[in-house]
Amino acid sequence: MSQDVRTRPADSGDRASLDGLDGLDGGPSVSATDVLDRLWRFFISMRTGLLLILGLGLLSLVGTLLAQAPAGMTADPAAYASWVASIHSKYGGWTPVLDKLGFFSIFTSIWFKAMTVLLTTSILACSVNRAPRLWKIAFHPRTRMGETFFTHAALRANVLVPTEPEKAMDNVREVLKSRRFRTIADPDDNGLNLYADRFRWGPFGTVIAHLSFVVILLGFFLSATTGFKNTDFTAPVGSKVAVGHGTGLTVEAKSFNDAYYANGSPKDYASDLVLYKNGTEVKRQTVRVNHPMKFEGVSFYQSFFGVAATMQVKDAAGTTVFGDAVPLAWTSDDGKKSIGKFDMAGKGLEVYVIDVASGQVDPDIKAGQVELEIHQAGKNDPIATQVVDQGKSTTIAGLSYTFERPKQFTGLIVAHDPGAMFVWVGSTLLVIGLFLVFFFPHRRVWVRVRKTSGGTEILCASTMKRDVAFEPQFHQLVTDIQLVGSPVEHHTKVGQNDA
Amino acid sequence: MLDPTVAMQLSKYSLVASLALVVLALICYTLVLVLKRSVHPAPVMARTGGHTGGGGIATDELPPPAANASPRALAQYGTYFTWLGLAFLTACLFFLTVGTGHGPFTNQYEFSVSFAWGMLVAYAYFEHKYHVRTIGLLILPIAAAFLLYAMSMGTTANPLVPALQNPPLLITHIAVAVIAYGAFSISFAAAVLYLIQPPEGRPGLPKPAVLDEMGYRAVIIGFPLLTLTVVLGALWAEQAWGTYWSWDPKETASLFTWLIYGAYLHARVARGWVGRRAAWLLVAGFGSVLLCFFGNLFFGGLHSYGNTK
Repeated sequence: MSQDVRTRPADSGDRASLDGLDGLDGGPSVSATDVLDRLWRFFISMRTGLLLILGLGLLSLVGTLLAQAPAGMTADPAAYASWVASIHSKYGGWTPVLDKLGFFSIFTSIWFKAMTVLLTTSILACSVNRAPRLWKIAFHPRTRMGETFFTHAALRANVLVPTEPEKAMDNVREVLKSRRFRTIADPDDNGLNLYADRFRWGPFGTVIAHLSFVVILLGFFLSATTGFKNTDFTAPVGSKVAVGHGTGLTVEAKSFNDAYYANGSPKDYASDLVLYKNGTEVKRQTVRVNHPMKFEGVSFYQSFFGVAATMQVKDAAGTTVFGDAVPLAWTSDDGKKSIGKFDMAGKGLEVYVIDVASGQVDPDIKAGQVELEIHQAGKNDPIATQVVDQGKSTTIAGLSYTFERPKQFTGLIVAHDPGAMFVWVGSTLLVIGLFLVFFFPHRRVWVRVRKTSGGTEILCASTMKRDVAFEPQFHQLVTDIQLVGSPVEHHTKVGQNDA
Repeated sequence: MLDPTVAMQLSKYSLVASLALVVLALICYTLVLVLKRSVHPAPVMARTGGHTGGGGIATDELPPPAANASPRALAQYGTYFTWLGLAFLTACLFFLTVGTGHGPFTNQYEFSVSFAWGMLVAYAYFEHKYHVRTIGLLILPIAAAFLLYAMSMGTTANPLVPALQNPPLLITHIAVAVIAYGAFSISFAAAVLYLIQPPEGRPGLPKPAVLDEMGYRAVIIGFPLLTLTVVLGALWAEQAWGTYWSWDPKETASLFTWLIYGAYLHARVARGWVGRRAAWLLVAGFGSVLLCFFGNLFFGGLHSYGNTK
């Protein structure tokens, strides 16, 4: 009906009748249902799906070939600007253009998101559109075909047997059943009809595979919007560090060990962790790369390690203002220094603790020393910069600072990702779905048996759309039917082969 | 057990033997093609003409038995050489595994040999199934190139960095990838042979319908395996790096590959895309497989093993 609406010329007479039909007054000749209908057909079109897949592919290629800003960097305009400046030498004058187009963070760009949403819509529309048909073919199949089907089908064969039709049909049935076909008899005036099929649930694999893709996308969405992920969680050996995010969890690193091969490449990073929930120990595990610790949906991964400086700060009255290990987890831009930071909120101070990076030498900071840079909170210029010796108290701006000892810290990724479960379920379904579609194609055979002058004629036919592998099996089926139907010939044949 | 240094030596010898056999097979197939073109173009043409749409595909594009026996015998030798080459390459990977103590999938050398192995396995399977030896003319040179590339790098048995110390996933993730890549190389060869022919076919070459079918069969093996590769990779990334997907260049290249083959599967049933356009997608798909493979060298990122730290 909607087809007619569009192709009809928009003369006044027609419009009047259309308006009456659709209840729209003097509007354009495109009605709401028409738009919906067009949209629907746009989304269920195979070409739409194909173009969307290719579009996403193109964006992925851009994301593969062009440098991509590190995750989360776009949130920090200053860091992002300096990153863009750093790649300017690579892309020259194209840099601002590519940046404007969002090509340096393509996978979070509006293009990628829009395409993903469109593809998801297309997948859902196609699945809704296709499922009823698949259901019908699987559970209410057409059990008999017209005569032309038996003379024109892609796979077809005629077999003449001397037995009676009923007996012949029984034999056919037995052959098909022995090959695990389901059989449905449906006699009519033209003779005895039989429909047989195998793997009727195979085609549902396509629905499973397509919907599982949506489940995976949902998982990605949940991962991005829920849970938490802390990629620079540092735990100095011996200190207890709270996980936060309302988990009530605290981690204590009992020890950290790094081991190396003879050629200097890393062999093992291992942290002995103890996990407390609201102060009570709940888990104890050695966490390694590839061996995370998991507790109540929160996972702890070995990620990095380094040196921490145990600092103590006292005020004039001798009260401890700060006392903890400070992980020197950052590296200066030139890679020569390791830097850590602690806050003394009560005093409005921020203190940077600076040491020489592993393997580097610095004339100002010697072994057993760290440099302290003390800032007023939020201010750029330090109020004091001083190198302090291990174990000696140094008074700076009225506070006494002591660098007690260096310590190791372990760097962990701590994450709670409710989306991951969806990704795993979706991935499993995706693989299952694909194997169903490709390796269990629905195989259907129609058989008609009728009496002729020379005995009983058996007509077999099948389609083999996109399933060429079925051809030899079909011929084998026919051969079997022939052999069962004419036992005498069977023996003759064997005899000939022997001779 | 075998001494690791001895195993590494045996592995190298097997590699050389395999390369020699692949080259021999290639020579045989080339000669077959040359002989066939000069002596027997007619039978193939007659067959193409007699092919009816509904009759399915005939799978034998070699000259019929009545023809001069020499191309046929040569082709058979080609097949034997291929099988033997595959056997030696399998031995090469076995000795490499013994010599290094881990699956032969951890650096560019090992992965090149594995890739060539995947191609030979896929080729042996498809040749056996479809008797289309002509694709060997494309597959064998690529496999030989990978073996040469591997040889040019030489091997050093590097110990495994912590991220790679996950034997079950190391073996499944990469072994599945290797088979998938091998299958895709078949579909690439089939697509190229399809594209260089006019729609009605060309004497001496496999029929377009057969090539179309073969390209598709290869993809329906490769695509689920590529999917499995990505899923296993995500599983591994989640264990080792704390996130199942981090838009690492190798991951995005795999996504690109996956989307191209996904597009192909839809193109094969979409109006206007059946045939040549679908075949072009197979060529693009294999290009992206190569991008995935060589990406390790210039992408950097999480998969850049061997030159980190």
